[in-house]
Parts: sequence; C-alpha cells; structure tokens
Amino acid sequence: MHVASIRRDLLIAGATLLVLIALPLLFPGKAFSDFVIRLSAFAIFATSLNLLVGYTGLVSFGHGLFYGLGAYSFALMMQKLGTSIPVAFALTIMMSAAVAAVVGAICIRLKEIYFSFLTLAFQMLLHSIIIAWTPVTGGDQGLTGGIPRPPFLGIRLDDPHHLYVFCCVVLVVSLFLMWHLVQSPFGYTMRMIRDNPRRAAFLGIQVWRVRLLAFIVSGMFGGVGGALISLFVSSAYPDFAYWTVSGEAVFMILLGGISVFFGPLVGAITLLLLNDLVTRVTEHYSLVLGIIILMFALGLRKGLLGFLVSAWSKRAAGATTASRAPAREH
Amino acid sequence: MADKKASLRRRRGFIKAAGALTAATGLGFPFISRAQDKPIRIGVPTILSGRVAQLGISSRNAIQMEIDKFNAAGGLGGRKIEIITRDSKGKPDEAANNTRHLINGEGCEIIIDAEASSGAFAVQEVIRELKVLCIHTNSETSSLSADPKIRVPTAFRVARQGIHDAIVSAAYAGNVAKAKGLKTWMSCSPDYAYGRDNTSLFLEYLKRFHPEVELVGETWPKLFQADYTENVTKILQTKPQALYSALWAGDLVSFIDQSAIYNLFSQTTLFAINMADYTTLTAVKNLPAGIHSATRYLKTFPANADNAAWGEAYKAKHGDYPTNWSWENALAVSFLTTAMKKTNSTDSTKLSEAIRGMKVKSPFGADGTVTMRAEDQTTIGYALGWGTTIPRDPWVPSVTPGDWKTVLEYEAEWKKKMGYA
Amino acid sequence: MDLQALLSCVSSASCVVTQTTGGLISGMLLFLVAAGLSLIFGTLKVVNFMHGSLYMLGAYFAYSIYAATGSYALAVVGAALGVGLFGLIFERLFMSRVYNTDVLMQLLVCYGFILILDDAVKIIWGAEFLSMGMPATFQRPPIMLAGGVLPVFYLFLIGITLAVALALGLLITKTRAGKIVRAAAVNPTMTSALGINTALVFGGVFALGGLLAGLSGALAAPVRSMVAGMGFSILIESFIVTVIGGMGSITGALVGALLIGLVRSFGSIGFPLFTEGIMFLFMTGILIVKPSGLFGKER
Repeated sequence: MHVASIRRDLLIAGATLLVLIALPLLFPGKAFSDFVIRLSAFAIFATSLNLLVGYTGLVSFGHGLFYGLGAYSFALMMQKLGTSIPVAFALTIMMSAAVAAVVGAICIRLKEIYFSFLTLAFQMLLHSIIIAWTPVTGGDQGLTGGIPRPPFLGIRLDDPHHLYVFCCVVLVVSLFLMWHLVQSPFGYTMRMIRDNPRRAAFLGIQVWRVRLLAFIVSGMFGGVGGALISLFVSSAYPDFAYWTVSGEAVFMILLGGISVFFGPLVGAITLLLLNDLVTRVTEHYSLVLGIIILMFALGLRKGLLGFLVSAWSKRAAGATTASRAPAREH
Repeated sequence: MADKKASLRRRRGFIKAAGALTAATGLGFPFISRAQDKPIRIGVPTILSGRVAQLGISSRNAIQMEIDKFNAAGGLGGRKIEIITRDSKGKPDEAANNTRHLINGEGCEIIIDAEASSGAFAVQEVIRELKVLCIHTNSETSSLSADPKIRVPTAFRVARQGIHDAIVSAAYAGNVAKAKGLKTWMSCSPDYAYGRDNTSLFLEYLKRFHPEVELVGETWPKLFQADYTENVTKILQTKPQALYSALWAGDLVSFIDQSAIYNLFSQTTLFAINMADYTTLTAVKNLPAGIHSATRYLKTFPANADNAAWGEAYKAKHGDYPTNWSWENALAVSFLTTAMKKTNSTDSTKLSEAIRGMKVKSPFGADGTVTMRAEDQTTIGYALGWGTTIPRDPWVPSVTPGDWKTVLEYEAEWKKKMGYA
Repeated sequence: MDLQALLSCVSSASCVVTQTTGGLISGMLLFLVAAGLSLIFGTLKVVNFMHGSLYMLGAYFAYSIYAATGSYALAVVGAALGVGLFGLIFERLFMSRVYNTDVLMQLLVCYGFILILDDAVKIIWGAEFLSMGMPATFQRPPIMLAGGVLPVFYLFLIGITLAVALALGLLITKTRAGKIVRAAAVNPTMTSALGINTALVFGGVFALGGLLAGLSGALAAPVRSMVAGMGFSILIESFIVTVIGGMGSITGALVGALLIGLVRSFGSIGFPLFTEGIMFLFMTGILIVKPSGLFGKER
C-alpha cells in the first residue's frame, strides 16, 4: 500500500466528513439528522457483516449477536456504572472483540451451512440470556429510564447536533478503517480464502487464523453499530439480538451489492428510506418489502451499487474484451 | 417647491411603505391564514403488522372515530385534527424512531402512543428529549407513570394500570375464594414482563385479601406459544382448586381450547383477567361457562346508554365490537380535545398543564367521569369489574364493579413500598 | 430447578402417563413439520426457512374448509393437499432459481415469502386471531388410564401422525420413488444423467414437505388459535429439531421431535423456567460436537 494512496483516502474521508457535517445547513430539519444518526449504526453494522460474508466467504446468520452485545454493554455501562462515553465505547469494542474471539474460535471450525447455523444459535442464545436475565437487562421490556450522556472533551451528546457530528465521525472513521483493512495485504488474504481456501493453505496461509481475525474485527465493528443505535434510542432492546436484525443486515448487503465495499452502505440507505417511505403510504409493509426482496434475490443479484459498478466497468472496457473484475462465485 | 418636494418624497415614501406592506401582507397573510386552517397533526405510533396488529388497528379505529366527531363539530376554532399513524411492527426501536419522525419530520404537535408496553417505554424516552405532549394508551405497566425516574412532565397515561387491576382482581377473587372455599391456587401466565408483573401482584394481593389461600404451583408458557400441553398437564398434576391466568388474546384461546379437552375446568376454577374482550370471547368456539374474568371492554359495562351507543356505533363503522384498546384510545382523545378547547391552544406545555388533574365526563368512567391524577399523570376512576362468562351475548351477564376507594388505599401503600412516593 | 417435583412425578403412574402422552403429542406434530424441513434439506440442500409459513397456511386452509363444509376430515385432507400444491408451485417458480447460488439468496427468497404470506393471510383472513373449534366427534370426556388423563382428540392425533411417520419411512426406504429421492440427494447430476427428471424429483420433494407441514397445521387447528405470523415459533422449533436430529435424516427428525416434546413435558415440572434455554444449549452443543446432528451423515 502506498503512502500516497493512504493520504488520498484520508483526504477523501476528511472531505466527506466535512460535507456530512455541513449537510444540516442544507437540510435544517431534525428529521434529516435523525436519519443520518440511525444510518450510521446500520451502515457500520452491515459493512462489518460484509467483511465476513462478502470478503471472507463466511456466511454468518448471527451477526446480530454483536449488535445486541454492543448495544447492551454500552447502555449498561452508561446506565449502571456511570462510565464516561469514550471509556464505555472502548470497553464495548473490547468486549465485542473478546466475545467474537471465543464464538469465532468455535464457529469457524464448521463448514458452510453449519457455520451459519452455529452463529445463529449463538445469537439466539444471547437473545435468550437477555430475555431471562431480567434484573440486569430488563428482560423483554428492554432497558428503561434512558441512557445518561455526560459531556466529555466539550462534547455533549444530549445535544442533537453534537450527537449528529459524533455519529458522522464514528461512521466515517469506521468505514475508513474497514476500507483500509480490505485494501491491505490482509484483505487480499481474506479474499483468497473466500475464493479458494485450499489454495491459500497450500501457500502457507493459516486459514483459521485469518478467518478468526476477520470474525473478531467484524464483531468489533458490529458492536460499534450496536452502541450507536443504543445512543440514538437511548436504550437497548432484546430485538437488537434477534435473528431479524441479522436478516436485515444481510438484505442491506444484497440490496447495495455484496461485491462492492460501499454496497452495504448504499443498501442501508436504501432500506431505511424504503422503510420510512413504505410505512408512510401503506400498512402492508411486509407485502411490499417481501416483493422487493424477491426482486433482488431473483433478479438484481448484484445489488444496486454492484449493478452500477459492473455497468460502468463494462462501458470503460468498451468494445475490447478486457476482463472485468470476476464476479464472486460460489 | 420645498413643500412639493417634501410631499413628493412623502408620497414616494408612502408608496414604498405601501408597497412593502402589500408585499409583506402578500407573503404574510397566506402564512397567517394557513396557520389558521392548517390541521393539527397528531402522531400515532402503533402496531399494524405482525401478531398483535389487531391492537393497533382497533386503537386507530377508535381514535379516528373520535377525531371525526371533533372535526365535524368544527374542530378547534376551525382547525381540524389530522391523524398520522406509523407502524412499528412491534419493535421498540422502530417505535422510538417513528415517534421522532412523526415529531421532527411530519410536524406532529401531539403524540398518542398506541404501542404495547416495551414500545411505550421507548416512546417515553423520545418524549423526554423532545418534550412534546404524549398520551400513552395501551401500556398497563405501572412503572411507566408510577416511577418518578421514568415519568416525564409532558407524558400521560390514559389506560388501565397494572396495580389497579391487581387490587380489584385480588379483592374479587378473594371474595369468590372465601365463598367457594378455593384454597389451593396455581398460576399460568405468559413469561414476559406484563405476565410476570401482573401475576405476582395479583397473588400478593390475593394473600392480603384472603390469607388462607395457598399457592401450590406455577407454570410459565412463552408469549405466543402454540402448544400448551406441557402447561396443562402440569396443572393436572398439581390439581389446584383455582387457576389464575394473565394470558391474553390468541394465547388465551389456545390455552382454553387445549385445557378443555383435558376437562381441566371441571375440577379447577379459572380466573382469566383478559377473557372478557369481545374478540377473545367470540374466538373461543366452545367457551366454558363460569370462567371468571375482568372486563376488558364490554358495551354492557359500565351499564349506561352512552357506552352501549358507543359500542354499537363502533361496530357499525368497523364491523367488530371495540377492544380494550379502543376505549382507552377514545378516552385519550376526549382528554386531548377537552384540554384543547379549554386552553384554545395546541401548545404542549399549556395542554399538559390543563390535562394534569383534569376530570372528563366519560361513558367508560366508574361514576361517569375519569380523572387524570396530577401527581403521577395517570388515569383513575375508569370502570373496572369482574364477572363470570356465559357462551353467548351478553357474555358476562352480571359484573361486580371494583371499588376505587380500596384501590386507591392499597395503591398508596404499594407506592410507598416501591419507593415511588 | 425443582428436581424433587420431577422425581415424584416420575415415580407416579398417573403423572408419567399424562406427561408422556403430552410430550408425544407435542413431539409428533413437531415431527411432521421437521420431517418436511429435513427431507427438503436432505434432497435439495436448501434450508426452507419459510417452512413455518407452510404450517400456517395449512391451519388457515383447514379453517376455511371446515367453516365451509363442517367436515374436519375434508379440512385436513384439503389443507394438506392445498399446501402441498403451493409448495410445488413455490419450488418451481422461485426456489428452483436459487439452487446454484449462495445460501444467502435462498435465505432471502424464503424471508421474502415469510413476509408476503404473513401479510397475505392478514389481508385474506383478517388481523384478528381465529379459532376453528373442536369438531363434535371429539367433544367427549378424556379417557382415564392408570390415573393419567388422555384426551380423545390427542389419541387420534398420535395415531394419525404415527401412521404418517410409518408411511413416510416406507416411502423413502422401500419404494422406487424413495430410492430416486435418495439418489438425487447424493448425486443430482448422476441421477439426471440416468434419465431421471431431477426437476420433477425436487418439485415432488418440496410438495411432500409442504404437504406434511400443511397436514400438521391442519391437524392442530382445533386446539391452536391462528394469527398471521404464527409460523415463526414453529419454524424455530422444527429448525432446532432438525439440527439436533441431523439435517436430512427422517429418523433424526422423529427422535429430535420426540426428545424435544418429552424434554418440554417433563421439563415443565423439573425446570420450568429454562426449557427454552435448554433447547438452544442443546443445539449449540450438538453443532459443536457433531455438526451433522445425531443421525446425520458427515458430508
């Protein structure tokens, strides 16, 4: 990786952040900043899942484990221990990493669909624990009474504008870090394992180590997504650890495009907009969403962004038979 | 000349001013007039899909029916009310997000929260931050209004409340137990916050009203469980004389159907607090006679002409009889509109001030009125009662009304014990 | 934990009889759904996440047929066939398009259909829950056996489901159709090279799976109220059953279903608050130790 390209990406990230922070001047309503805050949680969560699904070929059905874990550990630290926000954030990430290390070490031994089942089982186990451990988690009711937001470094997260800027920063930093992970030699190893684990092993790569590391990193960012959503709703609910959350993230990935880094981000934006739009027009949200899901699963499998990217590269290739980036097989 | 010039200048000045004024009014008047007929937007976060969709639908129906009446009568000085519902699909985080969107995006000035309990707590946190008037209409969980840490100045509850229900139920059940010699009791309630709280409170007060009662067992099916065989057979093994259940809607129907084939109710008397709601009563095809139940909503209780007429009007409009949630939401609208007329305003602070302590005339009141208690912003004096079922209309032919004096007495003591007062 | 209660139950005949039949009935109805799920996975290598919705359709079909004709027998047969047909159409039109793709696409097609069917049921039958009611034939007092209570309706259900299980076993192991299905499961390319229409086999298996799920929903309709979204808890349970028993194994589905039925039945007496947790723990344990399940073959 060139230093120049890092500098270029840093510049792009910085510029994006500035634009994001300036956007409320254009859209002054609170509805816009609410949307971006919620989006930041979902986008980080979906992108972190794609590190596993799209880049390492590990189809996890249980990524909601980390969303729920992140939300609950962050909210509980803030509510019960009175931790400061940066400390709670750091501890949440460490906690997610630790749990991901243990769960990952057990799960990655399994192949294909059984890996998916086991991740799902772990997620449902966490869900059962949250429901059963009422004195701490509030059970099915979730945490009641709100999350305190003590100011730190002059940042007051109880001020909606501060919260907005904070979430934008976390979003851009997280996406930047994940982007760089994917572009690094480690990221190439992940893709090699996805495409051909046997060949990777022949080349002397310890496949399980790469998979486990990918699982841990993905879990850490999943936890960050959970922490952000708990800040937004000022609570944590068992639903965050339910399988439907994983299902939504999977759909976001598919919607935006599994083979493009920013696919999950585009998917998250689209699904959230769709959700707001459809519930406004009809109470038959399920019917509409179901049909849209079918359209993508049966027709537009590359996702919105993936479709645009491949159309673009076809045009760029022109009449020559230049090879496109090979579509993900398997 | 000078005069002429001056007058010319004055005239020019006048023309300018007039022009400015016309421009200003031209721009300004539409704003003012628009503000006058701009509808008052009330946001209703609720559940319209999934297993409890019926909850939201019957809430929305009732709200719309009452609002239509208010609008037909001229609204608030010509301003009509417009209802905007949003479906949370039963997810609390979506309930929170929808509420924010209704206020921040749709410009709703007031929220009627027709979510179930977990959604209501999520909405409460949004209200704490955005400080808009909110009336919770479906959550019965006592702590929502009783716990000062959770209470919010602009949030009210217009609904039955767990602790009130528990005291009335225990007083009634205690009397029946004394009269019929029912000493051994068991409980079969859904294993989630409402089921657990409701059941433990009921049993606690049952012992207070009738100390000889003995709890011989308990069984906790999951919420939305399909198969209750294991629970039924456990009750058969324990052979209690009486059984208390906080199961509701479809779950209660399944439980009764599955118990009936074991002949459970020939040896055990069932006290099912959520039985006497029309949808539940009519769904059980072979309703056993003699089930004791609290009145959720019955057009025959409280027995007054307004209540009966309201129930029939609802049925005429929507095809079914109202549910427990319907009357709660209708009552919420009547609190709101009364406060609006009184203050001639839609300002949240002013309305909250007016609603706190307000007493409204209502067909659902125990004595024809319902009061919003100022100290904890929750309703008291609504009709509560218990009776036994028959398998046809009027379903619960005679209802024993609950005694609000007893309720308030025991509630005050409960609040002290919980550290709420 | 109340081990004393459990011990005293096990040592009393009446308790054992009641709890065992209770466990059997829960288990057998679960088996019908799980068997279809397992069969579909074994042959098509697809996890049919919308299997619970097929159960739901069975219940609603039975409700409508019973309301129209008043005949429970007709309701059960009609509902099972109807859902079987629906399964066939679903497989041919939708599922067959995602066999060679990522498991994610299969998951999403199923997820899409869960959402569509739940809403469709709400539109057609209404949002309120429905109850079919007990057919007059079965409205009679339960039989007493060694002090235990046996409802007549449940005895009938156990009989029917056992017969179906037996027929299913015979179909798979003894008939030509069963052999083809097993062959297609092991090597679909080879099977089709032998001139067998694998599309027909796959469609047939899906139809059979749907038929079993629909049958289960219809059989249970007199005692289980129905509402849109009811299929979900059934899906989770039958999913646990098939993972424990082994994806693709009918015997595994039977053993797993009965195991869960009995654990729940006796568990409600011994450790009432942790029956659900036990299921998930058990499933996690099985997946860690033997991912292919108790009776599954290592792939």
